[in-house]
Amino acid sequence: MAGICCGVVGETEPAAPVDSTSRASLRRRLDLLPSIKIVADSAVAPPLENCRKRQKRETVVLSTLPGNLDLDSNVRSENKKARSAVTNSNSVTEAESFFSDVPKIGTTSVCGRRRDMEDAVSIHPSFLQRNSENHHFYGVFDGHGCSHVAEKCRERLHDIVKKEVEVMASDEWTETMVKSFQKMDKEVSQRECNLVVNGATRSMKNSCRCELQSPQCDAVGSTAVVSVVTPEKIIVSNCGDSRAVLCRNGVAIPLSVDHKPDRPDELIRIQQAGGRVIYWDGARVLGVLAMSRAIGDNYLKPYVIPDPEVTVTDRTDEDECLILASDGLWDVVPNETACGVARMCLRGAGAGDDSDAAHNACSDAALLLTKLALARQSSDNVSVVVVDLRKRRNNQASS
Amino acid sequence: METSQKYHTCGSTLVQTIDAPLSLVWSILRRFDNPQAYKQFVKTCNLSSGDGGEGSVREVTVVSGLPAEFSRERLDELDDESHVMMISIIGGDHRLVNYRSKTMAFVAADTEEKTVVVESYVVDVPEGNSEEETTSFADTIVGFNLKSLAKLSERVAHLKL
Repeated sequence: MAGICCGVVGETEPAAPVDSTSRASLRRRLDLLPSIKIVADSAVAPPLENCRKRQKRETVVLSTLPGNLDLDSNVRSENKKARSAVTNSNSVTEAESFFSDVPKIGTTSVCGRRRDMEDAVSIHPSFLQRNSENHHFYGVFDGHGCSHVAEKCRERLHDIVKKEVEVMASDEWTETMVKSFQKMDKEVSQRECNLVVNGATRSMKNSCRCELQSPQCDAVGSTAVVSVVTPEKIIVSNCGDSRAVLCRNGVAIPLSVDHKPDRPDELIRIQQAGGRVIYWDGARVLGVLAMSRAIGDNYLKPYVIPDPEVTVTDRTDEDECLILASDGLWDVVPNETACGVARMCLRGAGAGDDSDAAHNACSDAALLLTKLALARQSSDNVSVVVVDLRKRRNNQASS
Repeated sequence: METSQKYHTCGSTLVQTIDAPLSLVWSILRRFDNPQAYKQFVKTCNLSSGDGGEGSVREVTVVSGLPAEFSRERLDELDDESHVMMISIIGGDHRLVNYRSKTMAFVAADTEEKTVVVESYVVDVPEGNSEEETTSFADTIVGFNLKSLAKLSERVAHLKL
């Protein structure tokens, strides 16, 4: 895969450096990371088990929406990736026949240099139809303290958003997304914790450290950067320091602004709430948490709030792709560089009818960005989603 | 480090009333080898010397998202009769240098079914921070731990009724 990625780069821009790194040295550095296990799943694709079932009942497939992909937060092996790549190819063909406006995406999610994987990714194409338009949901969640809040967001937030949008009046996206995030936060807070009694523990499905060791979960939280993509708009809702960036005609346009405690307006909000920001290995709320908004983290409320900042952007013909990622990427890769990498991968695939090529291009982009982050010594989990926003020929013909 | 250098220190005392009997609260609090029973910032804890009694040293790993990853702590004193525990932080990748704490638990005056836990500490003020900032940070950690201890104790006490 690394060879393919470098090949794509070479074919499109043989002499162009990636940021200040030459291709040769970049390839050498990427080659020095053989032990990093990376999952590069292409969606539109359901998990393997569901995919097998669907293949057995083709008539059912014809009448149902394509499956949704929730990436596990666990790292998978290269072998599994190879298998799922083959399967995904079939699924894409099916999806393309019936849902030509489903954007192609690529996504990776790796543990990186951290000991634990606490990121989660949620991909739900066509999760909602409204006003005869297909809506698609993409989310990246970077957990801290433990993984279960991020995993709960991955499992539930798209469904909460769907229910809120279904009762949304007109296009009040900001209010709707704020409500959704607040509901997600409440759901996480109300989570029943299992109590350790006399040292006995019950094995739990989907157990995490908190399940086994601690009856309380107030010090666990997650970022949430979410995008709802419609045929006409891109709605981004962000809470925390993950980020969404739009690549439009080669220009990187941030669709979210990181919630850092020393951002001037966040600093004022925290102080007015009676809290304070202390520089303790960076700016931290009460010296503890390095972000000013998060889902969860009850012990830091009301200073750390779950309210998202929402942007609504009209789509244009110049839109190339959307990148959602955790700070494991953005801390070491500037917006412009990420857009340049994604753009090269997409241009290598062209904008034609070949959905497989566009599909692979998104996967290549996500994978290359992840490897770049690791090569630049990112010290965190890295999760990346790349959404191809280019309009395809059949769409243009119909409009 | 210059031996003649004298560090600026600060300290604070926090009090937590717990609606649970002293024997129960103390049985949780005194477990030097198992702070994660109630301290939510603790991910793992292993004794590197001793058996959990006085003089024992524990290696604590901290959950993600905090400005530290591990801490090395020594149990200086454990008195089961007067319910007093003294702990020093003797290493780690955090900025709480020369941190020493004393935790006391006793029966609340108004009812035998309530316990009062008092934790006081002293610590050096790190370079670049003020005394107020340092106590604000440490109070957040200690205060949260005491609230967690209260929640856990009260929950266990409730289950035993």
